[in-house]
Amino acid sequence: MTCEETRKNLPLFLYGELSFDEEEQVEAHMDECDACRTALAREKAMFAALDGAEMAPAPEALEDSRMQLRRRLAHSEHSIRRSNWWDKVREGFTIHFHFAPGIAQVAGAAAMLVLGFLTARMTPNSLLGNFHSAGMVDPTTSRVRYVEPLAPGKVQIVIDETHQRVLSGSLDDQSIQRLLLTAAKDPSDAGLRVESVDLLKDNSQSAEIRKALVYALEHDSNAGVRLKALDGLKQFAEDPETRQALTSVLLKDDNPGVRTQVIDLLVKRHTEAMVGVLQELMEKEDNGYIRMRCQKVLQEMNASVETY
Amino acid sequence: MQAAVRMDEAELIRAAQQGDQRAFEQLVRLFDQSVLRLATNLLRSPEEANDIYQEAFLRVHKNLHTFRFDCSFHTWLYRIVSNLCLDALRKRKVRREESSVVETSEGLLDRMDTVQEQRADSDPERRLESQQLKERIQEVLGGLTPRERAVFEMRHYQGMRLRTIGEVMGTSEEAAKNCLFRATQKMRAALGDFV
Repeated sequence: MTCEETRKNLPLFLYGELSFDEEEQVEAHMDECDACRTALAREKAMFAALDGAEMAPAPEALEDSRMQLRRRLAHSEHSIRRSNWWDKVREGFTIHFHFAPGIAQVAGAAAMLVLGFLTARMTPNSLLGNFHSAGMVDPTTSRVRYVEPLAPGKVQIVIDETHQRVLSGSLDDQSIQRLLLTAAKDPSDAGLRVESVDLLKDNSQSAEIRKALVYALEHDSNAGVRLKALDGLKQFAEDPETRQALTSVLLKDDNPGVRTQVIDLLVKRHTEAMVGVLQELMEKEDNGYIRMRCQKVLQEMNASVETY
Repeated sequence: MQAAVRMDEAELIRAAQQGDQRAFEQLVRLFDQSVLRLATNLLRSPEEANDIYQEAFLRVHKNLHTFRFDCSFHTWLYRIVSNLCLDALRKRKVRREESSVVETSEGLLDRMDTVQEQRADSDPERRLESQQLKERIQEVLGGLTPRERAVFEMRHYQGMRLRTIGEVMGTSEEAAKNCLFRATQKMRAALGDFV
């Protein structure tokens, strides 16, 4: 094998993708050629550099993706069940109207009335509020909570069941907003919180919603949720309470993306109170962009970039 | 042990094909970490990687009944994932090569800051060098064709054999080998000064 052929084969050699014979030839050539051994060392160095450039998704990203998928699957399952149910009802009715005698049509209509009455009875009114509901109570998931032996050959099983319902309504509706506010704090589902905060942020004129956004910005463990909340609070950057929350986030948040957006908002207006905050930030901040912003504002305000 | 693992996987697939949601969830968990890793590395965008993750597993869920064990589930799944990633990369090429760095009102912010780096160095000088190297690698990865990039990612970071990569990409082992060869050649040309 020539030097040229050997060097061409180096990556495949390192990946272990050469045939037995080709590998033998490369190794035999290496034994005799200093220049190709050096080329192999460089190739290995390049592989090591590439290894170091791999990006591993953050653990919370995987968890978020899993939760989002679970929710989307549950939603599509629900839609399928619902359409199957309605298809069957519709199908039944089609047959009656086409082929059944008059008396059967009357019986079918009566059955629908009874069904409608029962469905309404089964649906808790407290949850309905004044918006439209797709109106079905349908067990979608169940889990065995515990099992207990009774008499010989008998067992008692306790099952937790989750029921899903589909509700729709205007974002201005207070009942809808209440549900979104609850979802925005659901500790088990970051994806749900992101979507809920995203929907709420357009109604941030409401004091209750603004309070929820401030809470999410300061306390949510997921950076995506915090960024959405921040988005909703941007127009209130001058409001003292919001400003105080932004300052606290700037000093405490561990996500550089959040801190970057916060500093951009805060430094739009230079206040004396900012000086101490920015000096404190300069002591611990390691993000180049944020440090640069801090430094620039402090210089503009004729303040030292350090505390003494 | 290997056979037992494979048997479990086949059982999970069959149960999921029968509509067992828990089995489907377990099946997802067997592979989803590497799927998200592949998508994150290929697209260099956590948001797009999540989109690929969702779309891939929703497609698997929808079409699992058509899976006939003609190939391994891993190959079948990766075929879906790599097609989605290639489409995303091609669309991006049409738009423009998207950088992970976005412009904020007064500066640049790297969205990949939210992604964990495999290695960090505490020495500032070495950190700077490693940062420059990382940027150069991003540049050269951006310059590869979508297929070259996918083959390289699957071989280098996922450790997949070229034969499997060929099956996943719907091509021959030889074509995958040529693709990998071209990718490493471009890498060598671009990274020569650094290594």
